[in-house]
Amino acid sequence: MTLTAAPRIHPRLRRRELGLLVIAGLALAVGSMTLELTRRLAAGDEVATEPGLPFANPAALAIYLGAVFAAHAILVLTGRRTDEVLLPTVGLLGGISLLLMERLPQDLAGGLGLGTTQLVWLTTSIAVITAIAAFIRSDAWLRLYKYTWAAFGVGLLLLTFVLGREVNGQRLTLAIGPFSGQPSELLKVILVVFLAGYLSENRALLVEQSTRLGPIRLPPLPYLAPMVAMWAIALSVVVFQRDLGAALLFFAVFLLLLYVTTGRASFVALGLVAFAAGGAVLYEIVPHVRTRVDIWLDPFATASGAGYQVVQALHAFARGGILGTGLGAGLPEVGSLPPGGIPALHTDFPLAALGEEMGLIGVMAILGLYLVVIERGLRIAASAADDFRAILAAGLSLVIGVQAFIIAAGVLKLIPLTGITLPFISYGGSSLLTNGLVVGLLIALSDRGVGPPPPPTAQRGLRRVFDRGAA
Amino acid sequence: MTLWSSLGGSAQSNAAREPARRPGIGTTLGRIGLAMSVAFGALAAGAGYWQVFQASELSSAPDDAAVIAASRRVVRGEITDRDGERLAWSVEDENGEPYRVYLSRSLSGVVGYASRTYGTAGLERAFDAELSGVTAADPVQDLLKKFRADPSDPQALRTTLVASLQQAAVGALGDDSGAVVMADPRTGEVLVLASTPIYDASAIADPATSTATFQALAADDVGRPLLPRATQGRYVPGSVFKIVTAIAALGSGAVDATTTFEQQPAAEEDGLLVSGFRIRDGHHPRTGTRALDFIEATEVSCNIWYALAGLETGGDRLVDWAGQLGFGAALPFDLPTAVSQVTGGDGPAPGGFLDDVELANAAFGQGETFVTPLQMALATSAVANDGVIMRPHLALAFSGKAGTTTISPEEWRRVMPARIADQITAAMVEAVNGDLGVGYTTGAQAPGLTVAGKSGTAELGGEGEPNSWFIGFAPADDPQVVIAVVVEHGGRGAARAAPIAGSLLAAWKAWAGQ
Repeated sequence: MTLTAAPRIHPRLRRRELGLLVIAGLALAVGSMTLELTRRLAAGDEVATEPGLPFANPAALAIYLGAVFAAHAILVLTGRRTDEVLLPTVGLLGGISLLLMERLPQDLAGGLGLGTTQLVWLTTSIAVITAIAAFIRSDAWLRLYKYTWAAFGVGLLLLTFVLGREVNGQRLTLAIGPFSGQPSELLKVILVVFLAGYLSENRALLVEQSTRLGPIRLPPLPYLAPMVAMWAIALSVVVFQRDLGAALLFFAVFLLLLYVTTGRASFVALGLVAFAAGGAVLYEIVPHVRTRVDIWLDPFATASGAGYQVVQALHAFARGGILGTGLGAGLPEVGSLPPGGIPALHTDFPLAALGEEMGLIGVMAILGLYLVVIERGLRIAASAADDFRAILAAGLSLVIGVQAFIIAAGVLKLIPLTGITLPFISYGGSSLLTNGLVVGLLIALSDRGVGPPPPPTAQRGLRRVFDRGAA
Repeated sequence: MTLWSSLGGSAQSNAAREPARRPGIGTTLGRIGLAMSVAFGALAAGAGYWQVFQASELSSAPDDAAVIAASRRVVRGEITDRDGERLAWSVEDENGEPYRVYLSRSLSGVVGYASRTYGTAGLERAFDAELSGVTAADPVQDLLKKFRADPSDPQALRTTLVASLQQAAVGALGDDSGAVVMADPRTGEVLVLASTPIYDASAIADPATSTATFQALAADDVGRPLLPRATQGRYVPGSVFKIVTAIAALGSGAVDATTTFEQQPAAEEDGLLVSGFRIRDGHHPRTGTRALDFIEATEVSCNIWYALAGLETGGDRLVDWAGQLGFGAALPFDLPTAVSQVTGGDGPAPGGFLDDVELANAAFGQGETFVTPLQMALATSAVANDGVIMRPHLALAFSGKAGTTTISPEEWRRVMPARIADQITAAMVEAVNGDLGVGYTTGAQAPGLTVAGKSGTAELGGEGEPNSWFIGFAPADDPQVVIAVVVEHGGRGAARAAPIAGSLLAAWKAWAGQ
């Protein structure tokens, strides 16, 4: 990474970002008051007699909002002409997460407790966004070393296979010394970086050439290799790690980026056929996959057994109705033991808890926030200076969007449920830090400053030759 | 739209390098954006499905966590009969926690119980959400109550039941296992839904006696007292099923009231040959060698005539018409119901019968036919109410803080024209009151009422007394009450069920005449 010389920095006001942040801050303050008033009503306290404004855990909210506004201030001071919508959007999502985690039983996480731990990770995530958005000005470190990154990613995956700690029957967590995390979260970013490098480099070939197999036009066979590799990696992640969600995410983002690059729907169709075939085989041979699909087809058949989690989530949505029960007025037992407890509520099912307390309008608002992230990301991609940046920005925004879609659709029984986090809302450090990295990169990529595109590399030169040849 | 077109436009510089026939990155990005919008739209639609369309059903289901939680701490609304007599109410134990007390054991099969340990059954289960105040009966109230300081609003339930008739019905069944259903065919209001043996629901609800009582009841798999027989008992119907066959045969036009079958008198002597199998029936001594018409055949309960009428109707039409009466699916009732069937349904012949032999037997209720007492009461209602079945219901009104919501009668199905219903009524009047019916159904007569009805003696195969059945209604010229009675192993229809019906119809007349 290169830091630009100090004299070029001129503070630049970000009025739109400030306005949106104020709105988000007010919304979170109102949410916090709702939580506290609901708690006092339930406890039978006299609302009026307690001194001060009724905020639930005002210190936590103040620290979080302080971090978000500090991020805004740093972006103003560094004066870059970057996106002003992503930070408030993500800030609101994170704030909703904070309110939810403050409200759930605190013993769901050890140590500091659920709410405080999440606050630490949220502020760290905001710090990551800020650092990357403010200071990263070159993408050469990503562009030049894509195979290094890919090797790093595969190594991480192998390391998890071998050393991973098994939690809930899934080998997802890698612990080195006191640090532990879920490498699949970081892997999705590495994947996007690699794909952006590979696809932008081979774009002309992928667009132009075909291998004819009778009436079927296949992608050029040599360049099919990464596709097959991706397919194999996705399936092996399913088989060895039993991580359906990550596999689905990797493959979906890969297909979407392939389409973005080539504009050839036949590639996507081919990928879907391969995915369906792989899925059908996995359904037959991997019991875990079969269980998930069977639960999806009829969770109510096993409402007190395998389908319990899904059915309880649907009940939670139903209880919320259109307007919701109000923050804090959902089931008090939520998250703990039955009845009413949804296992893994804070990691996999936060949308169900929010659906109960904020209702359909709340769910639609949250879905809308994710759509804003996707739309801003695609906008950044469309106005990017070159193919690499365009594909990178598209991939980063799609990683968040598709991940949100997969878990939301699973919780709403539109697709089989796969355990994966809801970006910026689910509890967990790996997820928050990685998604902070993603959003930070997106903001950095959106820079419309005067800096020229990065210098051409040897690979770009080679590509020019190819381009000329094709034309 | 403008958003995505602007995306496409901003990538002009990229597109210039591309071959014309492939879309540029700007275009594909726009399409991806559109696809993601559609995908998130689908998510919103999915959320809407669960939070709007499925909301009331799921959130008031007895196994919903909020319903269960509320049922443990909330003082449930009272349940009363139609005249306001309390059937179920709450008292507090020494810790100040509420538990239920019930008026009478005779209600056990319909009101059920609500226990902290063993959950709920009957009306206590079906209306758990309303009684414990989790849901209001009125959707608008349900939406508005979220804005009140104390959103809990337990509703009192006024039922259509008549406590005195319910007790009379259970008393009439005595020590036998069986069921009685009485309902108003004009409204679908159920007056009596009795099931024996009965149990002490108060003892299940009382925390002090709960465990011992419930475990003893659950372990009794001979008497099976926890089975609500009126709605979930499945019985061989015997001759009462002839009313269903009559509805199908007359309604479809396969036969009319004057149809006779030449071979019927002889077949009474040496059996009716169907597909090489001989269907036998006793001889009706009073009818000689005369070929019977519809009314006479119903009066003497002639199996041969009904077998032939069933064959004439055909398996397809018999099953279709029975389906109109409610066979083949759970009934639209406040309590869960078992599914009644005309046939097992997996045979090769039309309608799912195995062959004509099964069809002929089914036509007089001795095939693979199983019915619930409530289903037979509904079929009777169709005849009593000029061919129209009203939706059967037990809930008359809910009342809570926000006022009272009344459940109005609603038409469920129009099964047949009034003309056909009148012809069947005439036959059922003769079956109870006619000269030929003497000795079969006379016990169902009630002083001052013209009763129409049909008895049934359901042979169970093997040893043991048959199930004794009666279905009917009164007064025949202006039907106001239908009744279905089944007594397990009660012997001939005339022996047990018909006299019970007669005494209950007399009791109904005394109640209605107040």
